[in-house]
Amino acid sequence: MKSAIVPLLLLLSLSPQESAPQKPPSPRTPRDFVLPAARRFTLANGLPVTMVPFGQVPKVAIRLVVAAGNLYEGKDEVWLADLTGNLMREGTTAQTADVVAQGFASMGGELGISVGPDTTSISTEVLSERAVDAVRLLADVAERPRLPESELDRVKGNLVRNLAIQKSSPQAIAQERFSKLLYGEHPYGRVFPTEQALKAYTLEQVRTFQKNHYGAARSRLYVAGVFDPPALEAAIKQAFEGWTGAKASDPPAVPASTGRQFALIDRADAPQSTVILGLRVPTASHKDWVALEVTDALLGGAFASRITTNIRELKGYTYSPFSTLDPHPGQASWTETADVTTGVTGASLKEIFFEIDKLRKEAPSAAELKGMKNNLAGVFVVQNASRAGVISRLNFADTHRLGPDYLSSYVKRVMAVTPEDVRRIANEYLTPGKMAVVVVGDEKTVKSQVTEWAQ
Amino acid sequence: MRLATVIAMMTTGLLIGDRVELAHAAQAPASAPAKDARLRVPVEYYKLPNGLKVVLSRDLTTPTAVVAVYYNIGFRNEPKDRTGFAHLFEHMMFQGSANLGKMAFIRLVESNGGLLNGSTRFDFTNYYQVVPSHVLEPVLWAEADRMRSLDIDIENLKNQQEVVKNEVKVNVLNQPYGGFPWIDMPMTANENWYNAHNFYGDLAHLDAATVDDVRAFFKTFYAPNNAALVVTGDFAPEQVKTWIEKYFGSVAPAKLPTAPDLKEPRQEKEKRASRSDPLANRPALGIAYHLPDRFTPEWFAFGLLDEALAQGSDSLFYDELARKKGLTGGVNAGINFGLGSMFDYSGPMLWLAQFFHDSSVSSDTLLSAIDAIVEKVRKDGLSQPELDRARVKMRSDLYSNLEQFAGFGRANLLASFALFDDDPSKINQLEDGFEKVTAALVRKTAEEYLRSTNRTVYVVTPGKAGAPGEKEAR
Repeated sequence: MKSAIVPLLLLLSLSPQESAPQKPPSPRTPRDFVLPAARRFTLANGLPVTMVPFGQVPKVAIRLVVAAGNLYEGKDEVWLADLTGNLMREGTTAQTADVVAQGFASMGGELGISVGPDTTSISTEVLSERAVDAVRLLADVAERPRLPESELDRVKGNLVRNLAIQKSSPQAIAQERFSKLLYGEHPYGRVFPTEQALKAYTLEQVRTFQKNHYGAARSRLYVAGVFDPPALEAAIKQAFEGWTGAKASDPPAVPASTGRQFALIDRADAPQSTVILGLRVPTASHKDWVALEVTDALLGGAFASRITTNIRELKGYTYSPFSTLDPHPGQASWTETADVTTGVTGASLKEIFFEIDKLRKEAPSAAELKGMKNNLAGVFVVQNASRAGVISRLNFADTHRLGPDYLSSYVKRVMAVTPEDVRRIANEYLTPGKMAVVVVGDEKTVKSQVTEWAQ
Repeated sequence: MRLATVIAMMTTGLLIGDRVELAHAAQAPASAPAKDARLRVPVEYYKLPNGLKVVLSRDLTTPTAVVAVYYNIGFRNEPKDRTGFAHLFEHMMFQGSANLGKMAFIRLVESNGGLLNGSTRFDFTNYYQVVPSHVLEPVLWAEADRMRSLDIDIENLKNQQEVVKNEVKVNVLNQPYGGFPWIDMPMTANENWYNAHNFYGDLAHLDAATVDDVRAFFKTFYAPNNAALVVTGDFAPEQVKTWIEKYFGSVAPAKLPTAPDLKEPRQEKEKRASRSDPLANRPALGIAYHLPDRFTPEWFAFGLLDEALAQGSDSLFYDELARKKGLTGGVNAGINFGLGSMFDYSGPMLWLAQFFHDSSVSSDTLLSAIDAIVEKVRKDGLSQPELDRARVKMRSDLYSNLEQFAGFGRANLLASFALFDDDPSKINQLEDGFEKVTAALVRKTAEEYLRSTNRTVYVVTPGKAGAPGEKEAR
């Protein structure tokens, strides 16, 4: 197979020199994309409900978003929110956990309880014919959890194991330190508890956390997919209207940013270094947010972005580098992450900062920017073309109080970003001197490569 | 290529019930009974004179389209002294063709609002784009350009050898449990080299690849008569057919080599293997069983066994091993686990389940608890409620599978059934196949295929060095 060299290919590789390469045919005119219309109402107990008829597949997604994430944990309560969320899977006052699990399964779904930094989501996605039953069962889980003592040690044991496994991954180790450097003692800076702390949590603490953070005034309910609107609306009212629970509360304020910070964490003989660098930036409610998103895509977010083109496609230092914006209410961060070959750790940092510096000085060409804007607009359409995607975008707009026309005006606002906007955004917000840099790698090989950033 | 782009799954979906007849009156037999909520994906299938299989499946839910090109060459049948080559080659397909230089294909798609990727699996290598539908023509042109005229040089190759080595490092070598169980298990459970080699590749083999190897591989396998092109989503059928003919019609076919024999012997004795992983700090257990052949009644039955035994928190494994006994936190399992689904492969395949546990629980303790569940199912089959739930879960999962990744999931199944079975309409026979499975067939299938002598057990133990990475270097 190897020896057979290909006359056909030799000819073809010559032909471009003989005549100019052909250009691809031009795209046609884009078709309008209309976001699905949402019906919104608020129950008497203050629970906002959003229902979006969407698609033709006979399934429906239901998600209750509760202000009960890690943000509300005290200093000595890291992962208490996770323990609470996991124990909420262990049945309701009326139904044991196995009955709840079989209930969702018989509807074609599963109970999802996902604890995040800001919120906890209780969700499922079931066949449409069972939408009403699913709403009732989900409400039972949210409103009347059993939180059984008998399951506490087992659920804690699972979390202890997950903690240990997560902490054996270089990406998680890097992320933990990076968050600490960025947010300090704020809950966003506390990614992992110690094993001892986790083991010591009591049922009383779980019950208190649940009582103080789960309630209609701290939640929003979203439904998307194929369903019978009047029937489902009636079921939602019946299932959720009697729920009161915890009142809304203000999360702790985020402390001020600090300047450049650096950490090198040894992972002896690691073949790669895991690199995270970045800093805090304004969040989604800020006037510059959309321009920040465009800047992020152009710099490192898209595959054809500058950093990826440089350190992957030109230098071969890494496989999957990417930059991203991580918005919380009131605060966001921008990060570039890459797992790079150990021997080129310093060279990779140099190239990443070279690309950041370059964009801070020179506006991109109109053509390069237009491509990135088109990319964001296209990705936006795709993101809004699934049940879960529609719910996520609506939740995002609600979380950041972006107003009713945010989603419908999004593409227009992306298209309005200019080359000079991108340069200004990079210059104003992506200041290398303020960035935290974390490297998890083989210290003996890496240390001398990173002295430039370690001061 | 596995780009880092993460996108929400998308629901352009299939057409259901009577909507289908509207979409494809010509294809639906007049006597076809209207079935409620039964999956009916529109399928138009034909071949170009050069052998290219073409599948069109229209859906106007959103103004997007999926273009997927599947080549009938997976990592099973790469050259024996070039492990990892099929995957390295996949990367080379992004490095340039006669009319598109390096990065030009990626820029063309991204700058027109599209997403793209490629991947290498057991039995195919695929390339696909999710694009706003008005960009369909240039994307078809570009896919045809690289099918006709891959144009790479030594610099591109060296670059992608480094990228792929970094991919292996980030996913396997620098990762706890790296390669477990998705590489370890096929290498242990299978006897035939084609099914049992390290398909991510030996780093030395990756380094040994030459530009000549790349060109020869392209010439041998990347021909229209060894490929399927699928277009799904928002398009005008006659217009798309014209474009396909115009851009792909003149790509020359190749004389294809004889396909290797992929057969696995019947396993008659349990296999056990283990390794110590210095990056891991908790033990892990994997089990794998050889599966019945695709599209046999037993294969459909096994799909339901997978749902009942191992999918979700109502499953028999979860209920007994996690909820009741607390031996593990849960189970991850599947057919073609980690690399696809039960619908997108063609050769011999394993059903695989994976458990993480504490050192205080021995793998033998966990295994005997698993045995108790499996032996009961081999003896008694599933109860009616268990079987009913398995069927509902399968139907719901199938819908989600088809919707995946902006409708790419549907293209994936259509391409697989076109390539492997010359019949993409098999997509509409799946629900019936699962409906027909009886409780007796489930029991019989379990008895034969869940034999312990048909099983491989793979254990990962935490290495002596302990987990690195905790010492502060500064």
